[in-house]
Amino acid sequence: MRSVLVLFIVFVALAVGGPMLAPFDPTAINIPERLSPPGSQWLLGTDALGRDIFSRLLHGARWSLGLAFLISVIGLVIGTVIGLIAAMGGRIADWLVMRTTDTFLAFPELVAAVVIAGLLGAGTGSLIFALSVTGWMRYTRVARGIGLSLQTRGYVVQARLAGLSGFYIARWHYLPALLPSLTVVWTGMFARAILGISALGFLGFGVQPPMPEWGTMLLDARIHMRSTPLQMIWPGIAVVVCVLAINLAGDALRDSLARDHK
Amino acid sequence: MSWIVIGLLARAAFVLSGAALATFSLLWFAPGDPALAIAMARYDSIVPSDVVDIVRAEAGLDAGFWAAFKGWLGPLLVGDFGRSSVNGRAVLPDLLTAASYTFPLALAGLAIGIAIAVPLAIIAARHPGSVVDRLAVALASLAAAIPTYWLGLLLILLFAVKLSWLPAMGARTPAHAVLPALTLGLAVAAALTRIIRSGILEARAQPFLPAIRRRGVAESRVSRDHVALHAAIPVITVIGLELAFLLEGTVMVEVIFARPGLGSFLVDAIEERDFPKVQAVVLFAAALFVVVNLLIDLIYRLIDPRIGASDA
Repeated sequence: MRSVLVLFIVFVALAVGGPMLAPFDPTAINIPERLSPPGSQWLLGTDALGRDIFSRLLHGARWSLGLAFLISVIGLVIGTVIGLIAAMGGRIADWLVMRTTDTFLAFPELVAAVVIAGLLGAGTGSLIFALSVTGWMRYTRVARGIGLSLQTRGYVVQARLAGLSGFYIARWHYLPALLPSLTVVWTGMFARAILGISALGFLGFGVQPPMPEWGTMLLDARIHMRSTPLQMIWPGIAVVVCVLAINLAGDALRDSLARDHK
Repeated sequence: MSWIVIGLLARAAFVLSGAALATFSLLWFAPGDPALAIAMARYDSIVPSDVVDIVRAEAGLDAGFWAAFKGWLGPLLVGDFGRSSVNGRAVLPDLLTAASYTFPLALAGLAIGIAIAVPLAIIAARHPGSVVDRLAVALASLAAAIPTYWLGLLLILLFAVKLSWLPAMGARTPAHAVLPALTLGLAVAAALTRIIRSGILEARAQPFLPAIRRRGVAESRVSRDHVALHAAIPVITVIGLELAFLLEGTVMVEVIFARPGLGSFLVDAIEERDFPKVQAVVLFAAALFVVVNLLIDLIYRLIDPRIGASDA
């Protein structure tokens, strides 16, 4: 849990404080300085419109990390609620919910997200909707699996016999038991959301210019690959570092949970 | 066994119908009038609203959701994917042409990925915790964090721009397929290496192995006949699940390398708001996924009869 917590604090600090550290306005156009190499004035150089890449990366953290956090939490809430309905609602509800989940899983996530975001019209709202709609199924599977195993536990049966409401039991008996595993799933989905946001941005269906989002920055940089290849390197490194950090924290969490079980 | 097969088929049928309904409603409820899009494409200009209404009636779009859904699903069941609302051409031949570019690329990517991942995992699992093992795991973790499209761009930068060894854009010659296939292969290898490695480690911890060794079976035979077989089962499952990943990766790779295929087909169709084409490609992807997973479920039960109907 600790590694995830530390990472979480670092990311929040980056998303909140990053823009404050930015030396320049990320959308300020400065044509005479366009495609400058990295140097003392422009730490990582400037893009095709003369905008400071370092400042854009820092501001981009708010988009990439903030939106990914939002999307992964929306998925967590929706997926957990649906999973608990399947686990607690009896066999018919379970079958229907799980086949619906299978139906959503049948669409490759990124392909479905591209279609939804593209048809709704490019923009941040459709981006959030597209990635949330395609990102809740894993939580449902985990919540339902663990939930089913809890159904016959003594304290759950007792609680039910005592006449406690389903909501109460879900809140106080199921959620605490689900939380560790759901957190592991969440780290994976957080990383996927960062990749998804940048992929949609790169395809032009995500966060729209002039907002500095890492995928959109890569799309801009791609055209100038020959003259200023470094411009294409920075946003990619930002994505890789964040995704790698999240995955490693998730691995550490999973390992420590596995140790607790033994 | 036959009941299990029927159960699996019923489930696949349910999921496929759900996918068809989801695909249709997605486009039905999407903003923008498909009839207007068809009319504008056909007459290539601003069209008066009564013409749009005629087109709407012709396309069966004025009949309400369920009637329109039936009108779409009926021909679909006999393999008629309808006509493009932009150029009026039948969708299916174009879809198959696109798929004929995508499938070889995806398979090449899968083959390269397995060719990298299996030896790497075997070497890593030989001495768990050693420097080599840690290096391999670290490398795989790093590679798994790299977005496919960025990896593609980096390979273009290195091999096409800096070294000029390989072409980057288009699909004219076989050489054009090298970089896209390599991009996909590296992405697949990143996802597979760690899974295969832990599969081998788990298989090696099986309690019956000491018994086999004590019977005097040579270590090479133990590895080949027992460890490898046990490690293979989770790998088969994962490769089935990787199909979605492979399809996504191929879509991105095709866009980056400007190759024809399902990826470009889809992105172009969305940008032109060519609804029949979008529906076709989305449903095609979903159907492919359902069918492959059905096959894997069946194969799985053939290999290991202990798996019952309820395990999925």
